[in-house]
Amino acid sequence: MNAAAIWALIQKDARLYFANRLFALVTVLGLVAYAVIYFLLPATVDETLKVGLVIPEMPPALAEALADDAVVVQQFASDADLRTAVAAGEVTVGFAFPPDLFDQLRRGSRPAVELLLAPEVTPDFVSVYEAAARELSFNLTGQALPVTISEVILGPDLAGAQIAPRQRMLPLFAVLVLMVECLGLASLIAAEVEQGTIRALLVTPLTMRGLFIAKSLFGSLFAFVQAVILLAVTGGLAQAAFLNLTALLIGSVLMTGVAFLIASLGRDLMSVMGWGMLALLMMALPTFTVLIPGLAADWVRLIPTHYLVDTIYRSLNFGAGWAEVGGNLLPLAASALLLLALGMAILQRRFA
Amino acid sequence: MSEPAIVAEDLTYRYGDLLAVDHISFTVAPGEILGFLGPNGAGKSTTVKMLTGQLRPASGRALLLGIDVARHPKQVQARIGVCFEQPNLYEELSGVDNLSLFAKLFGVRDVDINALLRRVGLDGRGADLVGRYSKGMKQRLMIARALVNRPDILFLDEPTEGLDPTSAEAIRRVILEEQQRGATIFLTTHDMYEADRLCNRVAFINSGKIVALDTPHHLKQQYGKRMVRAEVVGSDGKLLTREIILDRPETPAEIADLLAHQQVVTLHSEEATLEDIFIRLTGRGLA
Repeated sequence: MNAAAIWALIQKDARLYFANRLFALVTVLGLVAYAVIYFLLPATVDETLKVGLVIPEMPPALAEALADDAVVVQQFASDADLRTAVAAGEVTVGFAFPPDLFDQLRRGSRPAVELLLAPEVTPDFVSVYEAAARELSFNLTGQALPVTISEVILGPDLAGAQIAPRQRMLPLFAVLVLMVECLGLASLIAAEVEQGTIRALLVTPLTMRGLFIAKSLFGSLFAFVQAVILLAVTGGLAQAAFLNLTALLIGSVLMTGVAFLIASLGRDLMSVMGWGMLALLMMALPTFTVLIPGLAADWVRLIPTHYLVDTIYRSLNFGAGWAEVGGNLLPLAASALLLLALGMAILQRRFA
Repeated sequence: MSEPAIVAEDLTYRYGDLLAVDHISFTVAPGEILGFLGPNGAGKSTTVKMLTGQLRPASGRALLLGIDVARHPKQVQARIGVCFEQPNLYEELSGVDNLSLFAKLFGVRDVDINALLRRVGLDGRGADLVGRYSKGMKQRLMIARALVNRPDILFLDEPTEGLDPTSAEAIRRVILEEQQRGATIFLTTHDMYEADRLCNRVAFINSGKIVALDTPHHLKQQYGKRMVRAEVVGSDGKLLTREIILDRPETPAEIADLLAHQQVVTLHSEEATLEDIFIRLTGRGLA
C-alpha cells in the first residue's frame, strides 16, 4: 500500500472539508457551541421538593412528617392561590385540604383532599404523591403509620450529589460531534461520485482498498480529534481517560461506517442530509435515555451508540472503569467493523 | 516489428440485454494516434472503459503494453493517462493542487507542475481555484492531469468537445507533441475534422461494432467520391450547379466541355469527408 498516496488523499479530503463553508462552520461553531452550552447548563441539581398546602391549621403531627431539609413547605390561604402557584411552577405539588377538615375527621367522615400537579408530572410520580397525600391525611388523625421503613441505596448514594444536567448532556454532545463529522464525510464522498472525481482517482495506481483506507482514516481520525477536544475542554477526560478515548475512537470508526452507508444512498448534498438526519436521530436515541431515565427500553441496546453513550456516561458520572463498562467496547467494536464493511461493500458498487 | 501498444481481442460488453460492444478486435501501434469515431451510444466510452480497466469485458481481452488489463489493471493504469469527456476535477482546489495530488497518486516526484501548466496554456492560473476556470481551461487542465505521469498511452475522450477554437487548438497541439514524444494516443471523438487532421488511422464504430478501420486517406479513396463542383450561368441567366466525378476516363473531356461552352462562375474540387463516409457505411450521422 502506498502510504504517500493515502496521506495525499487524507490531506485532500481535509482541504475539501474545510473548503465547504457549511461544514467548516458547523464543525467549528458546533464544537464551540457544545462547550459553551455545557458550561451554561447547571453544574448541580436542585433536590428540594417544594410542597404547597392549603390547610386550616398545621397540626404538629403533619409538621413533623414534613420536617426534612429537602422539603420546603409553603402554606397558601386558598385553593385558588395554590392552583396558581402549582401552575407557575413555584411549588412542585399542592395538597388542598378542605376548610372543615378537622370537623370532618371528628365526625368520622372522609374528607376530600385535592392533589394539585403540574401537567408534566409523570404517572409514576403521581402515584408517589397520591401515597404521600394518604400518609399525610393519616398523620392528621394523630396516628403514625404502623410500619418502620429503612432505606438501602444500591450503589453510590447520590442524595445531595445528583448528576448535573451538563453531565447528562455530555454523551449527547460527543455523539453529535461524531455525527456532524459523519455527515461531512458522507457529503464529501457523495460529491466525489457525483462529480466523477472517484473515476479519475481509480484510473491511477490507487486501489479501491487504498481509497477506502484513506477515507476511513480521514473520517475516523477527524471525528475522534473533535470529540477528544470536546471532552478535554469539558473535563471529560479527568476520569477513565484511556477507557473514554478508546470508546470514542471505536465510536469514530462506527460513524465512519455510517457515513459510508449514507454516501451510498445519497446522490447529492440534500439526499445525504435527508438520510443523515435519519441516521442522526437513530444514533442519538440512546443519549435521550440518559437524559430521561425510564425512557430506555431493551431494544435501545440494538443501537450501537448505546454502548458508547453508556460507557462515557457511567465512567464520567459513576466512576465506572474497565471492569464495569469495558464489556461495552466489544459490541461497539463489532458493530463498528460490521457497519464499516457493509458501507464499503455498498459504496464500492457505486464507485464501479 | 515492435509489439502493439494496444491489442483488443474480441472485446464484448453488455449492459443487461443491451450488447454495447460486440466482439471488436483491433491493434494500435506504438506512437500511433487512433481515432475512435462514432455517434453517441455507439460503444466508444464502453470500449475506453474496458481498455483502461474501469470495466471488465464480458468476453475477449485487452492487452496494453503487453499486459492483460482485466488481470492487472493497476499495472496498466500506472502507465496510461486518461482524459475524461466530462470535467471531473476538484473544483475547490487549485490547478496546481489538482496536478500535485495526481502526481502523488502516480508516485511521480520529478514532475514540473508549472511546466505542465505552461504546456496547456494555463501558466499564471495554477494558483486559482479550478471552480473559477472556464470550460476550456478545465479541459486543458484535464489534459495536463492525464500527462502528469508521462504516460505511454493516452486516452482522450472528446477532448475538444464544445471548446472555443483557441482551447481546441491548444489541445490538438499537445496531442501532436505527445505523439512526437512517443506516446500512443487513443482519441475518441465525433469531430471528423479533428480526426482527419490528427489521426494516423480511424476506426468507425456503430452499434458496438467496428465497421471500418483504416487511414483517413485510404477510407476516402475506398469509400469517397472525388469530384469537381462548378457554378455556371444557365441559358435563362440563372445559376446552375454541375458536378463532375473525377477518376473516370471521360472526366477530362467533360471538364474541357464545361470550360469551353459554359460561363463558369465558380469551380471547386471536392473530396468526401469522413462524415460522408461514415454516413455511407452506417446509414446514420455522427451527431
